[in-house]
Amino acid sequence: MACGMFKYSFFPPRRMALRAGLCLAAVAALVLSIRPPAPAEIAFGPRQEVHTTTPILGVHTRLTDEVEPWKIQYTLRLVRQMGAPWIVEFFPWAYYQAEDGSVAWDHPDQVVGHAEANGLRVIARLGYTPEWARPPDTPLTYLDAGAYDDFAAFAAAFAARYRGRVAAIIVGNEPNLSFEWGYRATTPEDYVELLRAVYPAVKAANPDMLVLAGALAPNLEPAGSPWAMNDLDYLRGMYAAGAAGLFDGLAAHAYGLTFPADAEPEPELLNFRRVELLRDIMVANGDAATPIYITESGWNDHPRWTMAVRPAQRIQYTLDALDYAAAHWPYVKLVALWAFRYPAPTRSYPDYFTLVTPEFVTKPLYDALRDYSGNGDTPRS
Amino acid sequence: MRRTWVVLVALLLLAGCRANEDTWPQIESAGVLRVGLDPTFPPFAAADGAEAWGLDVDLARALAAELGLEAQFTYFGYDGLYDALTTGQVDVLVSALVVAPERTQDVAYTTAYFDAGQVLVVPTNSAAGGMADLDGQSLAVELGALGHVEARAWQERLAALTVATFGSADEVLAAVAAGTVDAALVDSVSARLYLRDHADSGLMRLDPPAVSEPYAAAVRIGDRTLLRRLDDALAALERSGQLEDMTRRWLGP
Repeated sequence: MACGMFKYSFFPPRRMALRAGLCLAAVAALVLSIRPPAPAEIAFGPRQEVHTTTPILGVHTRLTDEVEPWKIQYTLRLVRQMGAPWIVEFFPWAYYQAEDGSVAWDHPDQVVGHAEANGLRVIARLGYTPEWARPPDTPLTYLDAGAYDDFAAFAAAFAARYRGRVAAIIVGNEPNLSFEWGYRATTPEDYVELLRAVYPAVKAANPDMLVLAGALAPNLEPAGSPWAMNDLDYLRGMYAAGAAGLFDGLAAHAYGLTFPADAEPEPELLNFRRVELLRDIMVANGDAATPIYITESGWNDHPRWTMAVRPAQRIQYTLDALDYAAAHWPYVKLVALWAFRYPAPTRSYPDYFTLVTPEFVTKPLYDALRDYSGNGDTPRS
Repeated sequence: MRRTWVVLVALLLLAGCRANEDTWPQIESAGVLRVGLDPTFPPFAAADGAEAWGLDVDLARALAAELGLEAQFTYFGYDGLYDALTTGQVDVLVSALVVAPERTQDVAYTTAYFDAGQVLVVPTNSAAGGMADLDGQSLAVELGALGHVEARAWQERLAALTVATFGSADEVLAAVAAGTVDAALVDSVSARLYLRDHADSGLMRLDPPAVSEPYAAAVRIGDRTLLRRLDDALAALERSGQLEDMTRRWLGP
């Protein structure tokens, strides 16, 4: 507005030229100030420790699409302050590796670095196939045998880079869902072949890196369904295909849906204790020594989703679940809650799984967990 | 199996084609407004067998009538509503949908017909006119609900605001009616239903909501004519008092 006014002033031409120059400079400064600044680099800072009475407590973070380093750092600080020593995070192969083999490690370096600085143990879920490693017009979840070695090489490189900083790798996600298997028929035999490629490659790169199989999606689809294969049948199929010895732990998803944490498990029912049915299959296949890591769990308190409970029930069931796992499941090393925070709201039922809003407002469940883990009196920073 | 994927791909392609198309001529010529809703959310929509009932059902019928059409309902799970719209299985969603700016690349929303946000409920003789008036008072909320989150945020602004938690919205409101707390912050549907069922509670709802959560109908982004006509129809229903009557019928005053 001020720039537009100078032509009406009584300044002589030279002064007017000076004013015009100043105005141009001001406009340029304004334009530059409007342009979004490059994300500030955030130092990892001195290493912190997680103080907790609940060593199996974890959260699945959603930092994959979080581009601002301070938000990555602040998220992980809140996780530590809640008393959760573990995070599970998705590291998409497709986002990082180019066809020439080069890997953009910047974002995973940020996540792993901030997690390490906050004393958190990281479980890395690897998946999503780059375009160059899959046929044209196939989705990101499409990974066929022709690219197993490429995926294994990436997993090995990941394991080597984050030696001592990442505890475990999960090979894919819910491979018993057709959606997660590139919209193809899903078979346990195919997945075991993938494990057969990945496991030795990772171990050769970093013998200390744990390789987790799964995590299978709990479901009750009938045999022959185009959408999914029953998780219990799938696990039996994995063992029949020779999966034993090709994974150090089984990743599992244990959602409570509308049931309390201690509701009895049944093959025709989906609830938190379905994990016990997975465990039975492992024991029946002589794999009792292999632990289970629950990498997704929890309840939803959306007011209308049919699979949700009331907010107060969600809090109680979650705490009961941690009690139950600690008391009854010595083979379970982790119960990670889905999901800590989303970068942006979905404005639908998934928002009601989270512990912290996109604006970093903590929900009452966060505070309940903080109390539960013995951190209720610790001031947050 | 292969056939399933062919059908899926065809549906996706169809969705792409329909998204930007103005389908009003086809709707008008068919004389039918195909309405998608999730019949598991009473009192907005529920179904006894094939017959749906609720505020959204009444509203959809009234909107169709304003447009000179007949409403034809198709039921979907909540998760599948938007896919049903974008793949052309229905013309409009009238299903207690919260306006989601993130979806506006694919869908357009009508003006809101209901606000399901968090409302303050106080005794009828209370002097409080809003959250800012509650310093030094006690506020009841449902443990873990959005009202609880909002109340904690207000505690940072009002040093003497006390927050009491209860296991359900009904318990929250009963506590205010009993005089054990000064006010309640609950979702507007719970508040209206409680006031409807406890007409002698001595409580009142304060408008506007402390936190807004507007419900609107949704159409495909290309259906500009349908959107305009639905907005006109909503305005007409509001002017005639029919919208208010429907809302009172299902949700109370």
